[in-house]
Amino acid sequence: MSDLVDSMLDLMRRLPPTRVEENVAALVGICPDYADDLLGSVDQPLQLRTDRATGREYLACDYNRDGESYRSPWSNEYDPPLDDGTTPTPKLRKMEITANEAFDTYREMYFEGGVSSVYLWDLDDGGFAGVVLLKKTMAPNTPSEPSGSWDSIHVFEAAERGRQAHYKLTSTIMLQLVTHKGENEAGEGKQQHAGSTRMEGSGKGKGEGWKKEGEVSLSGSMTRQTEQDWPLHDSSSHITNTGKMIEEMEIKMRNLLQEVYFGKTRDIVYDLRSMDDLAKARKQRELQKELVGFIKR
Amino acid sequence: MNSVERIQAAANFILQSPPGEINDVLNDVRNIISDDDSLQDGVLPALQEYNLAQFITVEVPGTEHQSIVSEAARLPSPDGEEDRFLDPRSNMSFRFDHLSLEASDPQPVEMDADSEPFRAALESSTLNYLLAHYHDGVASVFSVAGSNKFFVQIVANKYNPSNYWSGRWRSEYIVSLDENKVDGKILANVHYYEQGNVQLATDHTLSLSLPPAVVTSSPASSAAKILALIEDEEGKYQSSLNDTYHEMGEKTFKGLRRALPMTRQKLDWDKVLGYKLGAELSASKGVFGSS
Repeated sequence: MSDLVDSMLDLMRRLPPTRVEENVAALVGICPDYADDLLGSVDQPLQLRTDRATGREYLACDYNRDGESYRSPWSNEYDPPLDDGTTPTPKLRKMEITANEAFDTYREMYFEGGVSSVYLWDLDDGGFAGVVLLKKTMAPNTPSEPSGSWDSIHVFEAAERGRQAHYKLTSTIMLQLVTHKGENEAGEGKQQHAGSTRMEGSGKGKGEGWKKEGEVSLSGSMTRQTEQDWPLHDSSSHITNTGKMIEEMEIKMRNLLQEVYFGKTRDIVYDLRSMDDLAKARKQRELQKELVGFIKR
Repeated sequence: MNSVERIQAAANFILQSPPGEINDVLNDVRNIISDDDSLQDGVLPALQEYNLAQFITVEVPGTEHQSIVSEAARLPSPDGEEDRFLDPRSNMSFRFDHLSLEASDPQPVEMDADSEPFRAALESSTLNYLLAHYHDGVASVFSVAGSNKFFVQIVANKYNPSNYWSGRWRSEYIVSLDENKVDGKILANVHYYEQGNVQLATDHTLSLSLPPAVVTSSPASSAAKILALIEDEEGKYQSSLNDTYHEMGEKTFKGLRRALPMTRQKLDWDKVLGYKLGAELSASKGVFGSS
């Protein structure tokens, strides 16, 4: 029945990213038996929660979930509390604490705000795995300014091979940008749209009322994978190794996102509608051809 | 979920299909619901709603142009009979299969004599405008009998599944000669899905007053002026979209995550761990010092 999961994943790759939560919930409703497969393979926006013990914010996702509860990386406690919630072994928890501190520094250096969380867990084959989460949101200062959110999900597996370790990293970045614009210059009695900014001054004649309103939403996610070997010097090597890999990956993916979001999607819009007059351009080309023919003669 | 809710969920997925990917979505949904019999009847209303809203285009048999299938193209049908759609450019009505997206059974239609001269003029100006600004555009112009209202609809699609992207631009203008105004709507959708799923969705509504001189001129000159206003609005919108892109890229994107830290260098991870250790040491020193 992996066919079914493939179809669900293909569907999620096509439906609007802004509605991923609603659509995943609908799919879980249709195929409850595949809920775990789906929740484990579709990345959803990270949820912000507050650690009750420390008051510090952390990020919740499928990797720190046990039943209905989420574990905080700061206090190691589940909320709502669980008596038998899964926690890392003491040795791994120690590494988890250090990793959380290190990636908190990384977060401050690159995001200058936001929240980070790192979760580690033991693997059956003796290695371990982890997820590094980063999230930042920007609220607009005025209604017409863009709002945005960035969610990074870096999942890795580490396998020690003597004095080396082999790492598999899968990184997903979800990026959402929304601009709401409203302009209104109208004759008396016309209502202004909610949330719009009024454009003062009028170069328009009487009765030439006009209004405009609109939204631009650029949203989605991209995923990339890499596998690398790094040397192990001491117990903190795993953190410096994954740190370097994740930093490198985020730099690459930030470039990629910039290219796709602001280059590719914009180019496609211009492929649909041209700002320049195509008819004029066609005439120009024909004229040029004629000229070339004329010269050749 | 019971079977009714499942079909409802399936219909909801179909309505969210990106440009040109309705068949892919339909295949996925078929696999997921795995009940073709109830699916086929159950999602037909959703397919129809999707096709009409998305300005799906079709070539009517016997014509050599594409026509838009939309709510404005729908002809009132006697009870129990299947809907028919109008291609005003060829004065033909046709049947439309919402699953195969094919037109059939073309029949000549008598156009409304009062509105036809202006509608035809508006159509001719719209087709000129289409050639000037759309690479693969399709346009239809409909009149609403007895109301002096006209629908100008434009759609342009680009589907490039081998490079994992698709795009659709839709414009609709309701020209109301009695009220001297034009109400417009512009929608653009882009889907980019190579190792990801990125979508652009824009909507923009506008309304313009028509100067009295425009309304009282001859159909041809009036239509040309209306399309000049539309050309101006769409050009302004496209350049404002460019500004929005710039603002989101320069302000929001950069504000979310820096390309490099303030130091202009990547992190020194050994130091990151060291700093933390140092901070802890000095913190504990402080504790010892004060006790």
